[in-house]
Amino acid sequence: MNDLLRRKLQTSLIVISLTLCVASTLFLLLFSEKIGFGISLMAEGKLTAGFSTLFSRFIIFTGLLIFVVGAVIMSFMVFVMMSQRVRDIGLMRAAGCPNDVIFGYFMTELLVVTVVGCFLGVVLGILADFASTSLFSSFGFQISQKSVNFWLVLLVFGLFFALALIFGAKPILDTTKVAPAKALSPSYHFGVSKESGFRVTSKSGLTMKLALRSLFRHKSATIRIIICLVAVFLLATVGIAGGIIADQTTKSWIEKAVGEDIVLIAHQDMCNQYKLLLSKFYVANETAPINYTDAKYSISEDILDRLSSMSSNISGIDPRLVLEMQVKELEGIEIAPGTADTYTVVGDSHEGNSLVIGVEPEKVLSESLLEGEFLKENQSWEAVIGDSLALGMFTVPLNQSISLRGEAFDIVGVCLDPINNGNVTYVPLENLQNITGVSKPNIVMVRTNPSVNRTAVLNHIRAEVKGLNSEFEVFDLNEVLDKNLSFLGYIWSTIMFLPLISLFSASLCLIAYVMLTITDQRQEFGVLRALGANPKTIVKIVSGQSLVVLLSSCAAGIAFGIIVTLLILVPEPLITGFTVVEISGWLLTALAATFIFSLYPAIRFAKKPILEIIT
Amino acid sequence: MKADKTVVLASDLCKTYEIGDAKVEVLKGVNLKVGKGEFTVISGPSGSGKTTLLNIIGSIDKPTSGKIVVFGNDLSVKDEDFLASFRCSKVGFVFQSYNLVSTLTVAENIAFPMEWARKPENYIKERVEKLLEIVGVQHRAEHFPFQLSGGEQQRVAFARALANDPPFLLVDEPTGNLDTKTSLKIVQILQKLKGDGKTVIVATHDERIIQLAVKNCIWKMESW
Repeated sequence: MNDLLRRKLQTSLIVISLTLCVASTLFLLLFSEKIGFGISLMAEGKLTAGFSTLFSRFIIFTGLLIFVVGAVIMSFMVFVMMSQRVRDIGLMRAAGCPNDVIFGYFMTELLVVTVVGCFLGVVLGILADFASTSLFSSFGFQISQKSVNFWLVLLVFGLFFALALIFGAKPILDTTKVAPAKALSPSYHFGVSKESGFRVTSKSGLTMKLALRSLFRHKSATIRIIICLVAVFLLATVGIAGGIIADQTTKSWIEKAVGEDIVLIAHQDMCNQYKLLLSKFYVANETAPINYTDAKYSISEDILDRLSSMSSNISGIDPRLVLEMQVKELEGIEIAPGTADTYTVVGDSHEGNSLVIGVEPEKVLSESLLEGEFLKENQSWEAVIGDSLALGMFTVPLNQSISLRGEAFDIVGVCLDPINNGNVTYVPLENLQNITGVSKPNIVMVRTNPSVNRTAVLNHIRAEVKGLNSEFEVFDLNEVLDKNLSFLGYIWSTIMFLPLISLFSASLCLIAYVMLTITDQRQEFGVLRALGANPKTIVKIVSGQSLVVLLSSCAAGIAFGIIVTLLILVPEPLITGFTVVEISGWLLTALAATFIFSLYPAIRFAKKPILEIIT
Repeated sequence: MKADKTVVLASDLCKTYEIGDAKVEVLKGVNLKVGKGEFTVISGPSGSGKTTLLNIIGSIDKPTSGKIVVFGNDLSVKDEDFLASFRCSKVGFVFQSYNLVSTLTVAENIAFPMEWARKPENYIKERVEKLLEIVGVQHRAEHFPFQLSGGEQQRVAFARALANDPPFLLVDEPTGNLDTKTSLKIVQILQKLKGDGKTVIVATHDERIIQLAVKNCIWKMESW
C-alpha cells in the first residue's frame, strides 16, 4: 500500500485507466441492452421478421465487440502497468528477496489496484448508464427504463478482474524467472542490441525517428495497443459503416418493395385497408376485417382502359387481387449436399392466415426479393412468400410448397415486404382467380412518369377515376414509403449511438495509453527539452507515435469491420459512391477525433517546466 | 573584464522550492559574473545549490527572484521558444547523470543537436566522427547508451554538448559518478576545452578540476 501511495502519479494513472475501461464497457453493455430493449419495444408488433433479425444481429454483434474491446484494453493496461515494475522486481531479487515474497508483494499491489479500478469502474459505468438513459429519454428517444442488470454487472466485474490478474501476473512471473542482473538491465525490456549504420536525418526526420524508435523498443506494448485499437476500429466500422450500409440497404429494400412514384387506385375502403397493411411496418395497427371479395371493390375494365390511355403520364399498370386466406405449409425434400439421391423431408403442416396477393408477374411494379426468384409466368403454380411468413411457418421455404384452398404452390422466392409485416404470399393472378372464383382485381397500382408534374398527374388520375366511380380513391404511396423510411432511419440512428459512445470511451483509453507512454519516456523528453527541443517538438514526437499506432490499427480495424459488415451482418448490401464517401467521412472524423483526443496529455506534458520533467 | 565580454551575469538570484507545506530555499541572493573564455568552477557541499545555479544559467530553470543575463539576454523574461533555440545554439550542457537519449545510438546522440540546428549532412557526419575521436568512443558509435559504462556515457555527453560548437559549456559534477581512472579522462577533456578558450562553468568538488580554474573564478557555495 505504501508503495502504491508513494507512486501517486503512476498509481492514479493506472486506477483511472482501469476505471475508465471497466466503466465504459459496462456502460456500453447496459446501454446497448436498453437500446436493444427499446428497439424491441419500438418494433413490437411492427417490422418484418427479416428486419427484426437484422437489428438483433447488429446489436448482439456490437455488444459482443464492446465486450471484447473492453477486455483487450483492460489486459493491455494491466500488462503495461506491471511491465513498468520489471526493474523493481530485478532490484528486489538482486537484494536477495525470495521469489515467492516478490510475487506476493507485486500480486498484492496488482490486486489492490485491480479491485479499486474495477469497483470504481462499475460505479461509474452504472452512473453513466443512469445519466445517459435520462438524457436520451428527455430527448424523446425510446430507451427502456428497466433497472440495471445485476448479472451483467457481476459478469463484467468478475471477468475484468480475472483478466487483470492473469495479464498482470504474466510479466511478474516472467521476470521472477530471469536472473536479477538481466531483469535490472534496460536491455531486458528494451531488447535492442545495436543499430547498424549511422545516417544523418533532417529535423522532422529526427522527430519521426525518435517516435518510431520508442514504438519499436516498446514492441510488446505497441503490439498490444495496436490490437486494442484494431478492436476499437472494428467496432467503430461495424457501427458506422455497418450502420450506414444497413440503413441504406434496408431503406432500399423498402423503397423497392413499396415502389417509388407508385399510386394506388382502389375503392376507398380497400385504399384504407391497404394503407393500414403497409403502415403495420411502423405502427402496431390491427386491421379491421374486410370482405376482400366484395364485388364493389372490383376494378372495372373501364378504369383499366382509362389508365392505359394515359400512357404519357403513366409508365406501368399493375392490377392486383388482394385477399386474406388460410395458408398451409407443405413438406418438401432437401437433397443432402454432394449426393444425388439422399434426401430428408423438411417442414411440417403449419397453418395460418396470410395476405395473399395475386399479381401479373410481367406487370409487377415493385421488387423486394430476399432470396430465390420472383414469379415468371401468369399460369405457373408458384408462390413468393414474405420473410415473416417464411421464418414463422416454414423450415426451408425454397424447398417447400404452400397450400391455398387445397392447391399447392411451389415457393420460388422469399421477399422482404413491409405489407402486413411480411406475412404475405404472392401468387399468379390468374391462378388465384381460378381457385377463389374472384374474377377481377381489387386494387391497381400505377407508376407515374418521373418527368411529369406529379401533383398534376395525380389530380388528373383522381378526376378520371372519380368520373367512373365516385367511391374509388387515388392514394400516393410515397406518403407511406416516407413514413416507413423515417421509422427505419430512427431505429438506425438510435443504434448508431453505440459505436459513437464506444469511440469516445476508446479515446479515453487511448489518452490513458498516451499518458502511460509519456510517463515511460518522461526522462528522455526532459533531456530533449533541456538540449534545445521546444514544447512543440515533444508534442510532435508523441503525435507521431499516436499517428503510427492509430493509422496501422485503423487500417486493419476498418478492413475487418467492412468484411464483417458485408459478409455477416448485412446480406446483399447496397453500396453506392455516396455511401463510400459518407463512411469515409465518418471514419476519418472518428480517426481525427481520436487522434486529437490522444494529444491532450502530450500538450499538457509539454507545457511543464523542464526541471519538473527531468527530475 | 570589459562589459561586452561578460557571458553570465547573475544578480541577487534566489530560488525556493515548495515541497508540500515546506519551503526550501536553495539559492539565496547569489551574484555571479563569468567572462568570455573563463574556466569557472562552482564548488560546495551537496545540497548547496550548485546544480540549481547551473540549471538557471542554462535556462532550464527559472529563478524565484533576481536576474540572470546570459550573452546579454535576460533569461527570466524570455519565452520558451527563445529559450529552446538559445539552449540549442549557445549552451552545451553536461548533466551529472549523463542524460543520454536512450532511444538513440551514441552517434545519433551526438548528431541530434546538429540535426536540430539544421546543419548540413556532410558537416554533421564529419563532426560526429571528430567528436567521437576526441572523447575516445569511436568503437561505441552504433551502441545504445545503456550498453556503455558510466565513463563512456559521460564522454558521449561531453561530445553531445560540444556538437553545435557552443561558445559556452555548463558541466555538472562530471566526475561525481566515475572512478579515478575514468574521471582522469574527463579532466583531460575539460583541460582541452579550457585550452580551446571555451567559456566553461563546472560544478564540482573534484580537486583536479578545481585546480584548472584561476583563483578568482572559483565560487564557493555555502550549504543552507
